[in-house]
Amino acid sequence: MIDQQELHARRLARYRTAIGSPAATAPVRPAPFRLDAPPSDSGTSLADRLASAVGGDVRRSAAGSVVWYETAPRPLPVDRERLAALPGQPTRDVPLLCLDTETTGLATAAGTVAFLVGVGWWVGDAFHQVQLLVPDHADEPAMLAALAELITPDCWLVTYNGRAFDWPLLVARYRLHGSAAPVHGGHLDLLPVVRRLFRHRMTDARLRTAERYLLGLRRHGDVDGWEIPGRYLDFLRGASAGPLVDVVRHNDQDVRSLGQLLGHLGRGLGDRTTWPAAHPGDLAGLARAFSRQGDLADALDCLDIASELPVPPSPVDPLRMPPESDWWSPRVRPDYGARVTDRERPPRPDPAGPWTTERIAIERARLQRRAGDLAAAARSWASLMDQPGRTSIVAAIELAKLHEHHLRDLPGALRIATTGLGNADRRRRIGRPEPALERDLRRRSDRIRRRLARTAQPSVSPPSR
Amino acid sequence: MRLYAPADTPAVLADLLAEPSIARGVVHHAVLPARDAIHGEFPDWLDPRIVRGLAGRGIERPYIHQAEALSAVHAGEDIVVVTPTASGKSLCYTLPILQAIVDDPASRALLLFPTKALGQDQVTEFASLAVAAGIPVSASTYDGDTPAPIRSAVRSAGQVVVTNPDMLHAAILPHHTKWFQLFEQLKVIVIDELHSYRGVFGGHVANVLRRLLRICAHYGSHPVIVCCSATIGNPAELAAGLTGRPSRLIDRTGAPAGERHVLLVDPPLLDPATGARGSAVTLAQRWALPFLRAGRQTIVFGRSRVAVELLLTGLRESLREGLGPRTRLRGYRGGYLPTERRAIERGLRDGEILGVVATNALELGVDIGRLDASIVAGYPGSVAATWQQFGRAGRRQGVSVAVLIASSAPVDQYVVHHPEFLLEGSPEQARVDPDNLHVLLAHLRAAAFELPFAPGDRFGNIETDDLLAFLAEDGQVRQAGDGRWYWSSENFPASAVSLRTAAQENVVIIDTTPDRPRVIGEVDLFAAQTLVHEDAIYLHESVQFHVDRLDWDERKAYVRRVDVDHYTQADRAVTLKPLDVFADAPSPGGRRCHGEVMVASLATIYKKLKFVTNENLGWGRIHLPEIELQTTAYWLTAEGVRDRWRRHELDIALLGSGRAIQTVASVLLMVDPRDLGLVTQVRSPHAEEPTIYLYESVPGGIGLSERLWERHDDLIAAASDLIRSCGCDAGCPACTGPRLEPEIDARVLSLRLLDELGASRTMSGRGPTAAPP
Repeated sequence: MIDQQELHARRLARYRTAIGSPAATAPVRPAPFRLDAPPSDSGTSLADRLASAVGGDVRRSAAGSVVWYETAPRPLPVDRERLAALPGQPTRDVPLLCLDTETTGLATAAGTVAFLVGVGWWVGDAFHQVQLLVPDHADEPAMLAALAELITPDCWLVTYNGRAFDWPLLVARYRLHGSAAPVHGGHLDLLPVVRRLFRHRMTDARLRTAERYLLGLRRHGDVDGWEIPGRYLDFLRGASAGPLVDVVRHNDQDVRSLGQLLGHLGRGLGDRTTWPAAHPGDLAGLARAFSRQGDLADALDCLDIASELPVPPSPVDPLRMPPESDWWSPRVRPDYGARVTDRERPPRPDPAGPWTTERIAIERARLQRRAGDLAAAARSWASLMDQPGRTSIVAAIELAKLHEHHLRDLPGALRIATTGLGNADRRRRIGRPEPALERDLRRRSDRIRRRLARTAQPSVSPPSR
Repeated sequence: MRLYAPADTPAVLADLLAEPSIARGVVHHAVLPARDAIHGEFPDWLDPRIVRGLAGRGIERPYIHQAEALSAVHAGEDIVVVTPTASGKSLCYTLPILQAIVDDPASRALLLFPTKALGQDQVTEFASLAVAAGIPVSASTYDGDTPAPIRSAVRSAGQVVVTNPDMLHAAILPHHTKWFQLFEQLKVIVIDELHSYRGVFGGHVANVLRRLLRICAHYGSHPVIVCCSATIGNPAELAAGLTGRPSRLIDRTGAPAGERHVLLVDPPLLDPATGARGSAVTLAQRWALPFLRAGRQTIVFGRSRVAVELLLTGLRESLREGLGPRTRLRGYRGGYLPTERRAIERGLRDGEILGVVATNALELGVDIGRLDASIVAGYPGSVAATWQQFGRAGRRQGVSVAVLIASSAPVDQYVVHHPEFLLEGSPEQARVDPDNLHVLLAHLRAAAFELPFAPGDRFGNIETDDLLAFLAEDGQVRQAGDGRWYWSSENFPASAVSLRTAAQENVVIIDTTPDRPRVIGEVDLFAAQTLVHEDAIYLHESVQFHVDRLDWDERKAYVRRVDVDHYTQADRAVTLKPLDVFADAPSPGGRRCHGEVMVASLATIYKKLKFVTNENLGWGRIHLPEIELQTTAYWLTAEGVRDRWRRHELDIALLGSGRAIQTVASVLLMVDPRDLGLVTQVRSPHAEEPTIYLYESVPGGIGLSERLWERHDDLIAAASDLIRSCGCDAGCPACTGPRLEPEIDARVLSLRLLDELGASRTMSGRGPTAAPP
């Protein structure tokens, strides 16, 4: 009937018109480069162009070419002993490999390529850095093979958000090429560490922000993250490799910052003698990290010191925050486990809220209770009952619990619950009701009253139903 | 005091038919004889634990279709199973999957259902069978509701993964590296409710399956595909269109059925001039009441939420105090939670619930299939859907009754007056066109993202080199040094494609009713003109929304939930220009063609029409820019009639016959009448002859026009038949469309034109017949 192939060609031509494609005006499309003749790039290969632009060299193998860019080692001391004393950190003799990727997109899905992987490791105090660049899609296996040789089975990866992004992406790349990702000993993702310890005094938790607040480092002329995929893809399409030089520098600094952050951790909080000079919020975060791995004594030490320190004001004023973004926009990228772009973002307060003297005290009282030091917990909660606002009500509940269940002091518990109810009542009258807390207190005091009534007449057995 | 007494189904039916006012409306009464069970044998390779598990659930031997499916899948053959509702279709795939897991616990299976709710039901079903058989199987759903920690467990260890095409498209295939265990060991792919994958959605799903099979090939697995479908005219063709592979048709059902009475009812004609008829909803109540009072389990289907509301209130009112079991009547609308559905199912099983009034939402996803009577108020849009609703009534032994009550809509009228259409093999054919370029290119992008294309690679049966070169022009893919085509954009192509619309530029519909507005759907621009213009009533899952504001530039429609008794219908002014003729053939009295056309459409006014009665309540203007739609169309020209006809009469005849052809076309092709637009030209610029065009309202078309072109003779005959058998005097909305000039007899003129086009020659007093397979 109709030649299907020809029909397809005609439909494609008209589709071009329909979508207003630029090539629509040209009746016959000049074939850009086709199957039998892969792009020749006027003599020099992509790999050579890339290598000469960034100043690296091309390593060729059966798997393809990889551009290898190595910088001279620099001193970057990390006190591994002290670092190991911190919760969740690797022991002192584990080799560490800092790793950061630059990718063609934000989704960790099959079509996103890590075109640049930067790694850094220590030999003594010297920090060695190598960057592996993929000069062409077809050369990815060569980069993956080179990377696999750098990752030893006993080493720990050190990344920033690498658990959610960089590493899964690399795992996907290895799998796509039919192999398993290299084995490694562990993975230290610094993003959650920075979040837990320092986010409260930062405007956000990006690596660059951490550099600024923690390392006192400011980048100049740095390329923005959102520009990076475009620069690489343009290069693949034939544009100059020049713009990738900034990307290499950016990645180089990223990897080094990982090393510097570790140094900072070891020098700062890793050293207990510096704790009294630390920000109390940092210590409170550290306490959380300790208690997460069950180390309550160290956690309490942190909080004991933190509760003695004055809390400086938070850098981010929650009241001056811009409103939420256009949440209803249907084009909001679905969450595929991707990183957000680095485009201008307004500073955002720590979602957990800033650390205050009160919050630290509450944290401490809770921890004392968890550690089984009931007397200390009771003292802490009792002192918190004098605090204004919501805190006093929370403290009343906790203290009443202690008295009722652990100290077996029912009249005391009732007295405290009643005081708490009074506070809640006062707050409601000034227009700040706490319905959940109030309900809790009411139930609690009713129950205590019933128990008191029962203990008052122990001989009378309750009527059977 | 109780004024009603139990009675058996035949007695109730006999009483009803003895009542002249009821009996007069019955245009057809068919009795489908009881059918005995036909059993097969369990093959000896089937694990004895499975046989025991089935025996424990009362299944001693499989029905013949189950046995046939079992051995076909075992032999690695793709199958498509077509059997009636409640005939044990799901065992056709659960048994082979269980056996595959017994043979090799690493085996995986992927089950696709068109909706989330259906998938969740199936997991429960699967799990209970596995427990009965004592075979440990991890079966889970993977959809938008699956929490993140469970997702990773499903990815790595889920043996049976139940999901929907949208999820497969956007969340599983692009992340195939995380699903490698599934893809490496995939043994069976199940596509249930096959008939729902038609039109645009079907075209998308066919491409999603191309991507799926491509990834399976990459990981070295060769799964068998099992399709299950309700009764349609061309299940094997649809399955082949979707999967791109031939499959064996299993349509001999072994499930027993009791005697079933099927009655087609037409409400009385109230006004022959306007074609107005009595309300289907009111009549449905009259039919349902005696069954309910006699204690017979009855289900009543309404077409919209409002209709269900009216039916429910009406029935409860009639059953009040002493007049009937009022409290044992339940309503069912879309959006019910699984627990609510389960409660209704349970209530029906143990007899606690006597009657259910439901929207089409219940058509899918509820396991009810043993009631005494099913009363359908208004044709649900396809023969398949009608039988699914009829199928809710059907005792294995004893008599059941299914009643279809027509509304005054043209399609309804056509169906009830052509009983052979419903009863003698289904002539309606589901179509997919996976090669619509808008759809194809969208999925080719996604496929390139998932895996690079080597030169000469095919995507389904499509040669990809030209298309990839086209995509390379704006840099979305590039050919690397090894000659392969790689995705080379930072975008995530799957997220830009919605499986429910063809074009990428869509208007999103935002429900502002809740505190936190949410997106409830998308429509393409062409449809948006008439569906979501300002002050339109937009229906979504049988819920009405009022369009408060349409931001055309931003492509956003802001809607608010309302409860009103009317709907809106918009008119568009359309001009059409043929661009290319794909096929052209002579036909009696002229020519028939199909090809590509450009449609310029301007939405003009909308009317507010009352539900049920379709009474006109007012109108308004629509202020939207004209848009152009490039699509495919089928057209027919009448040659040599121009000299013999008066121009204005020819005009009316073209429009009248066009309307009738449009109606029968939507019936035959199983599409919403809105999916086919009608344009008539007394003198077309193309052929210089009177022409009737039916164009597809989906950009690029979905292959309907080619099918219409093939069935040209059927269309002419059926259209003529539709008009001839209409009870009106000179044309009405049910046949030739609203009367434009009262003194002209559109009916006679249209019939005359259709006769010239060959209707008299092909007419045999019968309606359309099924195309040969």
